[in-house]
Amino acid sequence: MSAIIEVRDLVKVYNGSIRAVDGITFEVEEGEIFGFLGPNGAGKTTTISMITTLLGITEGAIKVGGHDVEKEPTEVRKVIGLVPQELTVDDDLTGRENMQLQADLYDVPRELAHERIEELLRLVDLKDAADRFVRTYSGGMRKRLELAEGLIHRPSVLFLDEPTLGLDVQTRAVMWEHIRKLKKESNMTVFLTTHYLEEADSLCDRIGIIDRGKIMALDSPTRLKENLGGDIIEMTVEGEGDFSNLLAQACNGECNPRDGNRYRIKVRNGELQIPRLLRSVTDQGGQVLSVSLTRPNLDQVFLEYTGRSLRDAEQSTVTNRGERMAQARQMARRR
Amino acid sequence: MEMIDLKVALKQTGALTGRELKHWYRIKIQLVLAFVQPLLWLGLFGQAFRLDALAGGMGGGMPIELAFGGAPNYFSYMAVGMLTVIVLFTCTFSGLSIVWDRRFGFLNKLRVAPIPRGIIPMSRVLAAVTRALLQAMVVLVIAVAFLYVPGLVGLDITNSSFGAMDLLTMLGILLLLSLGFAAIFVAIALTITNQDVLMGVVNLLNLPIMFTSAALFPTAIMPDWLRSVANYNPLTFAADGLRQVCFENAVSIHSLGFDVLGLAVFSLIFVAIGIVVAIKVLKY
Ligand SMILES: Nc1ncnc2c1ncn2[C@@H]1O[C@H](COP(=O)(O)OP(=O)(O)O)[C@@H](O)[C@H]1O
Ligand SMILES: [Mg+2]
Repeated sequence: MSAIIEVRDLVKVYNGSIRAVDGITFEVEEGEIFGFLGPNGAGKTTTISMITTLLGITEGAIKVGGHDVEKEPTEVRKVIGLVPQELTVDDDLTGRENMQLQADLYDVPRELAHERIEELLRLVDLKDAADRFVRTYSGGMRKRLELAEGLIHRPSVLFLDEPTLGLDVQTRAVMWEHIRKLKKESNMTVFLTTHYLEEADSLCDRIGIIDRGKIMALDSPTRLKENLGGDIIEMTVEGEGDFSNLLAQACNGECNPRDGNRYRIKVRNGELQIPRLLRSVTDQGGQVLSVSLTRPNLDQVFLEYTGRSLRDAEQSTVTNRGERMAQARQMARRR
Repeated sequence: MEMIDLKVALKQTGALTGRELKHWYRIKIQLVLAFVQPLLWLGLFGQAFRLDALAGGMGGGMPIELAFGGAPNYFSYMAVGMLTVIVLFTCTFSGLSIVWDRRFGFLNKLRVAPIPRGIIPMSRVLAAVTRALLQAMVVLVIAVAFLYVPGLVGLDITNSSFGAMDLLTMLGILLLLSLGFAAIFVAIALTITNQDVLMGVVNLLNLPIMFTSAALFPTAIMPDWLRSVANYNPLTFAADGLRQVCFENAVSIHSLGFDVLGLAVFSLIFVAIGIVVAIKVLKY
């Protein structure tokens, strides 16, 4: 395996003061699906924009397929495809015309272009709508057309910036299917960003957890979860005294300091430990009111590495509301 | 600098120019308006303002042919100038689509593609040139057709040997004029990200450009200081050149060769500026 994207000490400062990307270094291997998981404003789009030659670099260096993005932007542009966060397909052309335009811009020969357009329109289920004006498309259809456009020149790396942002649950699942199918049929490298945990979890071979312009952790979803150290058992116990030491000893795990009568225990194979925990509490005269078991998930991974949950991070982002409104406008828009 | 493959660049330019033109001709009302406006002008200016009567007052009994550059009447003088004004007005909006494309992210789609940056303004310029020439030709035909409507004055092309070459010369003059103007306004649009500001700038520029030229009124009636400016306005070059092609014994401001050279320099300079601005602005 060799790295197709190499990012070294990358920094982006907007307007001399906003440090949107704050010194990140990572590599993306050829053929993998690599994801950036982070809340709005984390610096995902900024990073993608720099890798795809759209934005100047403040500090650091990027190579794509061995080409420096600043010194050989055209070489880089030839081998990448970008499906941007916002919808940029042309409303006043038909789906097929959009594809043809894209094919011409990437100098795909006519015959080949014709073949690929048919094939890609089939891949994203737009064959029936191909000759309709894009202004009659739904948000999900537009996004799928956008995906097809990004593939017209068979890029070696495909960038998907928030591929399912603003889509409903079913459409999101359809998008995931398309991305998986794509991955299976070609050995394309995919770099995607998302702030949906399930998306990162189910699609990506490796994930970078990004927050406030920094990569806080980088590994496969499985390993990230394993590194959490096990399942979380939460218990509410009524009784005299503090049960946390007792609980930790009983299952050989870790127990957080009690929070009122609530206890949070981190332990491997949680389902096997629950009976033991219940018994030890009862033996000491306590009464268990409730028990819950949570498997390690990326939300906990995010919490572990950034000190806040992804949902909290989203809500604390001031730009969040503005971005949602912009998104709504995009959907409702144009001319 | 990386090498540009000319054949590929032409294909890409063609594709983008085609997109611009599709946007234009698919909106029927836009097509209608594009021809109604110059018609209104021909009607109002040409038929209602019978400036012929005033010519006698200028310079003490100047013959009409002298006052109007060799045209047999004011309408004929004005109709030829109107062709240049249509070119100006069509080209002023050549850059508007760039503002839209920036707003909706389409511009980034172009920027991330392996295309020479200059293609982005050039495609708008070429689309505007196409529209300008088409509209000018339609107006030319209508102005001549007025001759055959009883009670109306029409464009009387008095050049008795007028032929295909002359028509091509006219097209060439209008082509150079539209290249230059389209390039100016595309360059302006590249640097302005707000459509309202752009409209403001366009409106600020187009009327002064029109009125400080020999397009609709003879520069002879202007004060000296204004005339010295107006005589070197690209619209004047174009109108002056066109009149020499259309009218027998034309009374011109410059020679035809000078007019064409002036236009060529004008369009070359502004096309170059447009491309340089595009490379600068579209880099990041
Ligand atoms: N053009 C810009 N000018 C100034 N600040 C910007 C600009 N674009 C993004 N930012 C800021 O940079 C930070 C990262 O933004 P972005 O990369 O869009 O995050 P994400 O894609 O992860 O949501 C945010 O704080 C955002 O407000
Ligand atoms: Mg983003």
